[in-house]
Amino acid sequence: MALETKLELSPKGLAIITLAGELDASNAADFQTQITQAASANCKRLVLIMQDLEYMASAGLRMLAFTKQKMGASVDIYMVGTKPTVQETIEAVGFQYSVIMLETYDAAQIEQF
Amino acid sequence: MNNDNVQVPASFDSLSSIRTYVMQAASAAGLEHKRAYRLQLAVDEIATNVVTHGGGSEQPDAYIRVSHEITDECLTIVLEDNSHPFDPTQQTLASDINAPLEERPIGGLGVYLALKNVDTFTYKYANQHNRNILVMYRQTPPPETQ
Repeated sequence: MALETKLELSPKGLAIITLAGELDASNAADFQTQITQAASANCKRLVLIMQDLEYMASAGLRMLAFTKQKMGASVDIYMVGTKPTVQETIEAVGFQYSVIMLETYDAAQIEQF
Repeated sequence: MNNDNVQVPASFDSLSSIRTYVMQAASAAGLEHKRAYRLQLAVDEIATNVVTHGGGSEQPDAYIRVSHEITDECLTIVLEDNSHPFDPTQQTLASDINAPLEERPIGGLGVYLALKNVDTFTYKYANQHNRNILVMYRQTPPPETQ
C-alpha cells in the first residue's frame, strides 16, 4: 500500500496534513515535502489526520522530529485519530510527550489560539 | 528453513513487499494482530537499515532474502543480505528517549524499535552474508515486557 498525503493551509495559521496508507523509508520524503511547505507558510500549528494511516515506520518518527526542528519547538503538533499500533510506536520512543494526541478532531482545542 | 522465501533488491521500493511477506507468515502462525504488527515493524526497520547503512544503495547487486519458519512455539523470520557486515545489536540505541523531540538525535530509532519489538533478535555474519534472525513466540509470553 502506498502513502497518500494531502496538505491544507487554513487562514487561521493551521496546517493540516492528512496521511493515509503506509509511511516508510520509501515515501517519507513526500511527507517531508509537505512539512517543508507548511513551515514556509509560517503556520502556528500542525495537525496530522492519522486515522487512515495503517502503518508507520521510524521514518515517520524522524519526520516528527524534523517538523519540530524545521518549524520551531513552539509549533504544536496535533495527531488526530492515530491507530493503536501506530500510537504504540510513538510511545515506544517517548514522542507522545512532544505532540498532542487527540482521538477525534476537537475544533475548540485545535483552532483556538 | 522454509522454502517459501522471497528475494528482493536491497532498495526502499522492496520494503512494502517484505512487509506483506511478514504479515502473511504472521497470519499463518496465528500471531495476534498487535504482535504481527510489531514483527512487521521490526523486520521493516532492519531491512531499511540494510538499504541505508549496509551499502545497498551503492551496490547494484545487493539483495535481501526473507524466509520464515513456523514451529509449535515460534515464528522465525530470517533476513539475509549480501551488503557489508552490519550488526544492529552493536549500534548505539536511541537511549535518550526522554529528551524533547526538538533535541533528539535523529538516528538509532529504527534499530531501537526492531530490537524492542521482537521476542528474540540474533545477528550473525557468515559466508559474506548478514543474517538477522527475528523470533516471535506464537503465544504471548506471560511476562509481557513493559
